[in-house]
Amino acid sequence: MEKLKKKIGSFSFWNWVIASIIFRLILIYFPKNLNLSSRPEVSTPLTSFRRLAEGYWLKQSSMSSYAGSMYHGSPLLLSLLGPLTVKRIEGQPNHLLYSLVSVIADVVSAMLIRATGQNLRLAYLRSLESLDLVKQIDVSEFLFSGDIAALIYLCNPFTIVACVGLSTSPIENMAVILCLYGACSRLIPLAAFGWVIATHLSLYPAILIIPVIFLLGCGPDSPPRKLFLQRHQQKEVLNQSKLPPGFSWGPIIHFAFWAFLWSVYVLVLCGISLKQFGGLWEMFKSTYGFILTVEDLSPNIGVLWYFFAEVFEFFRNFFLIVFHVNILFMILPLAIRLRHRPCYLAFVYVAICSMLKSYPSVGDSALYLGLLGWFVNELADMQFSLFLFCGYVGVSLLSPVMHNLWIWRGTGNANFYFTTAMVYACLQIVLVVEGVSAVLNHDRKLRILITGKPQDAKS
Amino acid sequence: MANTLSLYRTVKRLGIPDERIILMLADDMACNTRNKYPAQVFNNENHRLNLYGDNVEVDYRGYEVTVENFLRVLTGRHETAVPRSKRLLSDEGSHILLYMTGHGGDEFLKFQDSEELQSHDLADAVKQMKEKHRFKELLIMVDTCQAATLFNQFQSPGVLAIGSSMKGENSYSHHLDSDVGVSVVDRFTYYTLAFFERLNIYDNASLSSLFSSYNPSLLMSTAYYRKDLYKRRLEEVPVTNFFGSVMETIHTDAAYKALSRRNSGRFEDEMSLDQSVHHIERRMLIKVNDGDEIHDINPEGEEGACKCPWSTFRNKFQKAENVDSLVNYGLVAMIPLLVISTWLVQ
Repeated sequence: MEKLKKKIGSFSFWNWVIASIIFRLILIYFPKNLNLSSRPEVSTPLTSFRRLAEGYWLKQSSMSSYAGSMYHGSPLLLSLLGPLTVKRIEGQPNHLLYSLVSVIADVVSAMLIRATGQNLRLAYLRSLESLDLVKQIDVSEFLFSGDIAALIYLCNPFTIVACVGLSTSPIENMAVILCLYGACSRLIPLAAFGWVIATHLSLYPAILIIPVIFLLGCGPDSPPRKLFLQRHQQKEVLNQSKLPPGFSWGPIIHFAFWAFLWSVYVLVLCGISLKQFGGLWEMFKSTYGFILTVEDLSPNIGVLWYFFAEVFEFFRNFFLIVFHVNILFMILPLAIRLRHRPCYLAFVYVAICSMLKSYPSVGDSALYLGLLGWFVNELADMQFSLFLFCGYVGVSLLSPVMHNLWIWRGTGNANFYFTTAMVYACLQIVLVVEGVSAVLNHDRKLRILITGKPQDAKS
Repeated sequence: MANTLSLYRTVKRLGIPDERIILMLADDMACNTRNKYPAQVFNNENHRLNLYGDNVEVDYRGYEVTVENFLRVLTGRHETAVPRSKRLLSDEGSHILLYMTGHGGDEFLKFQDSEELQSHDLADAVKQMKEKHRFKELLIMVDTCQAATLFNQFQSPGVLAIGSSMKGENSYSHHLDSDVGVSVVDRFTYYTLAFFERLNIYDNASLSSLFSSYNPSLLMSTAYYRKDLYKRRLEEVPVTNFFGSVMETIHTDAAYKALSRRNSGRFEDEMSLDQSVHHIERRMLIKVNDGDEIHDINPEGEEGACKCPWSTFRNKFQKAENVDSLVNYGLVAMIPLLVISTWLVQ
C-alpha cells in the first residue's frame, strides 16, 4: 500500500516538475521575458540582469566592473554569466541562454530540496521510533515533505517570476540550498562550498553558519534531547544506542577547514580578476559595503528604502546599525530555542534575512517558502495559514498596481507602494512568529504524548 | 538697425553662437520716443517678426559704437578692462564675416551721424589683422550708398568684399512701413536675407551663388564684389563658411563592441587630426619662409599620437586576456574539485 502510494506520489511529482519547467520555457519565449526584469520586486541593485550586463561590458572595456556603481555582485559571477548576457542566437529570444541557466539552477535547487526533505523525513521517523511514539502518531499520514517542498519551490509564482525575470536569485538560492543539503547529508566539503559561495554572492547567508554547525554537530531536526532522556527514564532502561548522539566537534573542525580552503580559493580568484582595479578591497567595498551602507534607495518590496530616503545625514549611520543589528540580535535567542531543529532554524534565519535585508526581492521569498515545505508535518497546526496565504496573494497582486499608480500614472505616491511593502513585511513576521510557535507547540505535543500529562509552561 | 538685426538672426539660425558674434548697434530706434512699437524692431511691414525680441545680445550699443571702438575690435588692441565678450577672439584659422550698414559715401562710412570710417583706415586695420594672424579669410559686406568704394584700398590676401552699390550709385531701401513711418529694410540686405531664408544649414550653396543672386534691376544698384585678393574659387566656398557654423560629423554605424577597441583607438586619432587642422596650418603659416622643417613636424606629430594609445591598448588587452582565462580556468576547476573532495570524504 505504501509502495503504491509512493509510486503515485512520485509519478505526479515528476509530472509537476516537468510542467513547471515547460511553463518557465513558455514564459521565456514571450517577448522580452514579459518585462519582468524591469520590475522592482524582481530585480534589485544586487540581482539585476541589466547591471550584470553592464558590469560585463565594463570589464570587457578594460575598466573596473564596479565603475559607475552599477554592478555590485561577485566578479566570479561576471566571468561565469557575463558572456551569456551578450550571446545571441538567431531566431531565439534574446537572453535564452541565461534564462536556461536560471531554469537549470531552479531544477537543481528543487532536486536538492527534495533530497534534503527526504533526509529530514527519515530522521524524523527515526526519532519517533526511538521515542516509541510510532503507534501513537499516525505515520502513514505523513506527507512526503521533500517532494512537497521541491514542488512548492518549483511551482511558486515567486520563483517562476524570479527565474524568468533574469535575476541572479536562482543561483544564490541554489548556493544556500546546496549548503543546507551538504550539512544535512554530512557532506562537509559540499556544505562548506555552498556556504562560502552563498556568503560571497550575497552577504546574509553568513548567518547560516549557526544552523550548519548544529546540523553537523547534532544531526538533522529532531525533538529536544530532553524528551529522549525522559522517555528512557520512563523505561528505566538506559539504552545508549537509541539516544541521539550528543554534540560532536569533529565535523565542525572539518567544516571550518574546508570553509577556510574554499574561501581562500574564492578570494584568490577574485583577487586575480580584480588585480588591476583595486583588488579585494575594492570588491568588498562595492559588494559588502554596498549592501551594508544601503547606498541605492530605489523602491523594492523591502522597508529600508523608504526610511533611508528621509533619514537625516547625521543619523544615517546610527540607523544603519539599528537595521542591521535587527537581524543580528535575533540570531542568538532563536539559536538557543531551536538548537534541536537546525533546519528549521535555517528556515527562520532565511525568512528573517529575506524580510530585513537591504534589497529584498521575490527571489528571496521564494527560497524560504520552498524551505517551508520541509516542515509541513510539524507545521500542520499552524494558525493563520489561510490568512497568510491570502495575504501573500493580495500583496503580490497589489504591489505592482501601486507601483504603477505611483511611477507611471502619477496618481499615487510612494506611500501607496510602501504600504504594500509594509503589509508584506507584516505577513512575513506573522509567518515566522506563527511558524516558530507551531513548531514549539509540536514539540510540546510530543512531550505530552511521552509523559502522558501536561507539564508546566517551561521548555 | 533692422538690417543688422535681421542678418544677426540669420547668422544665429545657421549656427553661429553669441560668443562668436560682436554686434554693434547705434540702437537709436527701438526705444526712440517716436517709435510707435516700443522696444520692437521689424524688418517687414507685415510686422511678422520682432527682431529685437528674445535672445539678442548686443555687445556695443549707443555711444559705444565709435570708429575707435570699431577699429579696436578689429585689431584687438583693447584696454585691459574690456571684457572678453567685447573682443574679437579670433585666431589664424578663423573665417570672419564683417557686415556694415548705414549711411556712407565715396570711401567713407558714417558712424552715429558725427564720425566717419575711411576706407584707408579700414584697410589699415585689416592689414594689421593680417599681420597679427587674426583671420584666415574675411568677408566684408557693406550696405550703404557707394559701398564698393569702401574697400578700394585693401591689399591683404584672403579678403573678399561685396558692396551693395558702386561708385556714384545709391543703395535704396526696399519698402516703406507706413505704420511706423520709416523704411524698414534695404534692398541689398533684403535680397541677402531672402537668399538665406531659402537655405538650410546643410545646403552646400556656394558664395558664387549668393553673389549671382543679386539682380541689379531689383536692387536698383550694382552689387559689386572684389575677389582679386581671395585665392579660392567662389564656387567651392560654401556660404556657411562665413554665415553659419557647420560642424563636421562623422557617422559610425558600429555599436560599441568589445573587440573593436582597436578601431576605436584609431578613430579617436582621426577625430583629433580633423580638429587640429588649424594647428598644422599654423605651423605651415609660421614656417612659410623656413620650408624644410614643415615635413618633419607633421608626420612626427601624427605618428606619436597614433602609436602611444595603440601600444598601451595592446598591452592591456594581452594582460586582460591572461587574467580572464586564468579566472575562467579557476572557476571551471572548482567543480571537479568539489566533486572529488565530496567523494573522497564520504
